[in-house]
Amino acid sequence: MNNTHISSAFDRDLEALQALLMKMGGLAEEAILDAAKSLEGRDEDLAQKVREGDKAIDALEDQINEEAAKLVALRAPIASDMRLVLSVIKISANLERIGDYAKNMAKRTVVLNQLPTQDGAPQSIRRMAREVQHMLHDVLDAYIQRDPAAALEVRDRDADVDQMYNALFREFLTFMMEDPRNITACMHLHFIAKNIERMGDHVTSIADQIYYTVTGQTPDDARRKGDITSVSPLDV
Amino acid sequence: MYDNRASESAVTADDIKIEAKGVNVHYGTTHAIKDVDVSILDKTVTAFIGPSGCGKSTFLRCINRMNDTIDVARVTGDIRIDGEDINDARVDPVQLRAKVGMVFQKPNPFPKSIYDNVAYGPKIHGLAKNKGDLDDIVERALRRGAIWDEVKDRLHAPGTGLSGGQQQRLCIARAVATEPEVLLMDEPCSALDPIATGQVEELIDELRRDYSVVIVTHSMQQAARVSQKTAFFHLGNLIEYGDTDEIFTNPKDPKTESYITGRIG
Repeated sequence: MNNTHISSAFDRDLEALQALLMKMGGLAEEAILDAAKSLEGRDEDLAQKVREGDKAIDALEDQINEEAAKLVALRAPIASDMRLVLSVIKISANLERIGDYAKNMAKRTVVLNQLPTQDGAPQSIRRMAREVQHMLHDVLDAYIQRDPAAALEVRDRDADVDQMYNALFREFLTFMMEDPRNITACMHLHFIAKNIERMGDHVTSIADQIYYTVTGQTPDDARRKGDITSVSPLDV
Repeated sequence: MYDNRASESAVTADDIKIEAKGVNVHYGTTHAIKDVDVSILDKTVTAFIGPSGCGKSTFLRCINRMNDTIDVARVTGDIRIDGEDINDARVDPVQLRAKVGMVFQKPNPFPKSIYDNVAYGPKIHGLAKNKGDLDDIVERALRRGAIWDEVKDRLHAPGTGLSGGQQQRLCIARAVATEPEVLLMDEPCSALDPIATGQVEELIDELRRDYSVVIVTHSMQQAARVSQKTAFFHLGNLIEYGDTDEIFTNPKDPKTESYITGRIG
């Protein structure tokens, strides 16, 4: 199939829409890394920067929705074009949620800075955040390359993030049982870990969208589920 | 029990009305239709789409033997309506065309009154026993054509005095007056404004209850809106034939995709 439309303005509109999405993806990646870094380094300025930065991500989502609505109204995209527009709208919503989670991490970092440090946990969280950021980076690459196999490969890596979250969940439970004075900090850290785990889920949802955009099918094989904390009893 | 259809647009019948096998059409030395096999369903709107000169109108015209009137045209292959071979020597093309109605691109009412336009077909086919009978047929056809309310007070005014959209609905009423089973439409809306187009499309959707409707259209959006099945023709070949929602969301053939998304194929 030839890849350019007879109407070159249509191609330019689609390009512009995807450029906005990639810009949004870049900001979301940065927010994940900065949020984790500010937590580990107890860096209040950086946390503040992440909280402020979320506004730009939200604004981009609004802009993408507006441009996508315009494109649907004016160009009536069908088949692969329509799938592309639908996926841009959905992926931008995923990225917006990722931005929100990063912002929430930064908020909790400000609170945590007033509490005693929890040895090891911020480092583990940062490793987990780095893994999710890599996944996001790779899934956006798969989007640009229109590579459904690469997207599915990223999707499978979410199980590792879930594993890391399970380990942290158990660790926090142990800390809290050891000394109830740890509860406040551990609850915040747990929510942060959960936020990152949820980011991973949004990355897998983006991977699904890529698969759908390229093939017109939804990936039907059930994803490996790694987060078992919601179905496990409390004893560790 | 698990029927989660979002609308009634899905095909409800799967009775085959028209069955074509190995149809070829030559105009002199031009090979206009190449080995087309297609099964068109009853009580369904089937859209033929494709670039100009792809053979969609030619194929449509095979279904009521309109190509017979063209000296250089040669049609081979098998076309059956309800299992009957329409090209059989014993089939009277005039009777066939009463069974297979046709509506053309430009509204072409006879230069007669609205009433006579509709009454003409039933009269020559001897469908009415008396004047009262004929009146009933005309009213029923005009109602089917969704134009009765607009013309009931001026049935004896000339048909050519109506607006374009009204004229086209009059022609549809005229086509259904002989109680056809198949209705062929060759770009029925291309000369109409969007409102008249909307009215004709609404009418097509209603006609689907009783007829097998085949429509040739250049408007992809129109095909998407009115049809349940879509056939894509390219250079005389039938490239893809399937459910309209499938063709417009995830076509199988790259040529179909190129054409419907407006890429140079």
